[in-house]
Amino acid sequence: MNYVLHLLIMIGIYLILSYGLNLVVGFGGLLSLCHAVFYGIGAYTGTLLMIKAGLPFLPAIFLGMVITGLFALIVGLPALRFRGDSFVLVTLGFQMIVFTILYNWIDLTRGPYGIPGIPRPVIAGVEVTELYQYFILVSLFLVVIVAILFVVCRSPFGLALKALRDDEMAAEGLGKSPVHLFLYAFVISGMVASLAGGLYATYVTYIDPTSFTLDESIFLLAILLVGGTGNMIGPLVGTVFMILLPEALRFLGLPDTVAPNVRQMIYGLTLITLMFLRPQGIAGEFKLR
Amino acid sequence: MKGLKIKKLSKAMNGLKIVEQVTANFLPGRITALIGPNGAGKTTLFHLITSELKVDKGEIVYGDETITNLPPYLVARKGVGRLFQDIRVFGNMTAFENVATACYGPCFETPWFPFFNLKRMKSINNDIRERAFHWLNFVDLAEKKDHPAASLSYGQQKLLAIARLLAGGFSLLLLDEPTAGLNPVMIKNVLRLLEKIITEDRSKTVILVEHNMGVVNEVADWVYFMNEGRIAFFGRTDHVLGDKEVREIYLGL
Ligand SMILES: Nc1ncnc2c1ncn2[C@@H]1O[C@H](COP(=O)(O)OP(=O)(O)OP(=O)(O)O)[C@@H](O)[C@H]1O
Ligand SMILES: [Mg+2]
Repeated sequence: MNYVLHLLIMIGIYLILSYGLNLVVGFGGLLSLCHAVFYGIGAYTGTLLMIKAGLPFLPAIFLGMVITGLFALIVGLPALRFRGDSFVLVTLGFQMIVFTILYNWIDLTRGPYGIPGIPRPVIAGVEVTELYQYFILVSLFLVVIVAILFVVCRSPFGLALKALRDDEMAAEGLGKSPVHLFLYAFVISGMVASLAGGLYATYVTYIDPTSFTLDESIFLLAILLVGGTGNMIGPLVGTVFMILLPEALRFLGLPDTVAPNVRQMIYGLTLITLMFLRPQGIAGEFKLR
Repeated sequence: MKGLKIKKLSKAMNGLKIVEQVTANFLPGRITALIGPNGAGKTTLFHLITSELKVDKGEIVYGDETITNLPPYLVARKGVGRLFQDIRVFGNMTAFENVATACYGPCFETPWFPFFNLKRMKSINNDIRERAFHWLNFVDLAEKKDHPAASLSYGQQKLLAIARLLAGGFSLLLLDEPTAGLNPVMIKNVLRLLEKIITEDRSKTVILVEHNMGVVNEVADWVYFMNEGRIAFFGRTDHVLGDKEVREIYLGL
């Protein structure tokens, strides 16, 4: 039961991450390789605001989102001058820079030692400690975020973003400003990731930079590519699939000595097969270039 | 009533003069054709007007504002709309969405707009839907409304792009070969559309790039003839099309 609850909580956190990223990747058509950066900055700012500034959970999380949003603005301004492969490489650069800072700014982040003993969230006088409580907390945030993103994606803004994705020249010819619209999407997506980071940090009560590596950014992108982008079902399918598949592979009964490696290979093979069968993702409407 | 004035416009790419000292005047309330052989620089001139390409020298004035080298989205917001030679519909969006997105102005397109206009959202959406259907009907594509634009035929995509352009409410229309690749029936439809556009709203300015001289003859009042990046000839349609030089260079007669 605890195992199932733990998986559900992790799925919830990753759903928040992938729905946020979907705005940039699915609606904007931009492959961002630095989403884990915003996830990480959210986790660290939330944590530090609670531990060092003594802020309660909710203000710390929200202030963390604002700070991460500003950071996303700083990343987005130069990155969004590029498209296609160049954009991917620029975001990769930011991913590497921020990871290095998290890893080496020992005074602030304790670097590789990580930050242990992160306090549990206290909301309206109730300390969230039990798994089921945590599950409820994550679900509440998830519902709110998905509802907001649902409205945003179906708004004129979401439509304009899709237009830019499909043909930037034609969309610009209709008066859509690529810089403004992509930047909005990028900042919102960063802020949503920040929230997921705050939830993650207080859930596992320990963070270190290895949770926010390039691998993590790639994993988040893979969730969308597997599930399909540009709609509200794709991230759900992708997240559930990508988190449950490795868990399912545990039950194959492989001998312990080779199990992790074989699991990794089956995992990879499944992804390759999937891309052959459905290049647009399981629930996707279109294929990213 | 805004007209477009182009003054001594020049553009070179890779050392080649693609557009050279072009001066032209396009008046509202009429369709002015821009003709010339392949590679004459007609599409490039459109690219320069919409700032898709940077102007080297010269000036573009629309109404009483200079729009030279303004970012493309700002040129569009001044009222300059364009039908691309390569169509460029939003392929993964439905026909309806293609037209609907053209109906929204920039003030609707902030992420927070729906949250601060909860009550108005419904009437805004209804209004846009009505307008989008009006233009889809205008080009006879209403029954394709839920089809992804990429799944439509070439001719239908062209009509969709026209509907999208008209939904944008632009006052200057740059039409790059609206009838190319269409069958005769479709061409008749587009001709009817063009006449409808200009008779329904006398303040619109239309520039028509076209290789089909039948079409030019039928709808254009004035013609610019472009050759090797320069305006070689300008005059009334029958006059230009009847000119000996034009017939030799272009029509091969
Ligand atoms: N990016 C570029 N770099 C260099 N030359 C270019 C570039 N784009 C276009 N040209 C050249 O500019 C010239 C004018 O091209 P343009 O597309 O404006 O012609 P056009 O009059 O629209 O012809 P068509 O009737 O075939 O559409 C051509 O000779 C073309 O090869
Ligand atoms: Mg051309």
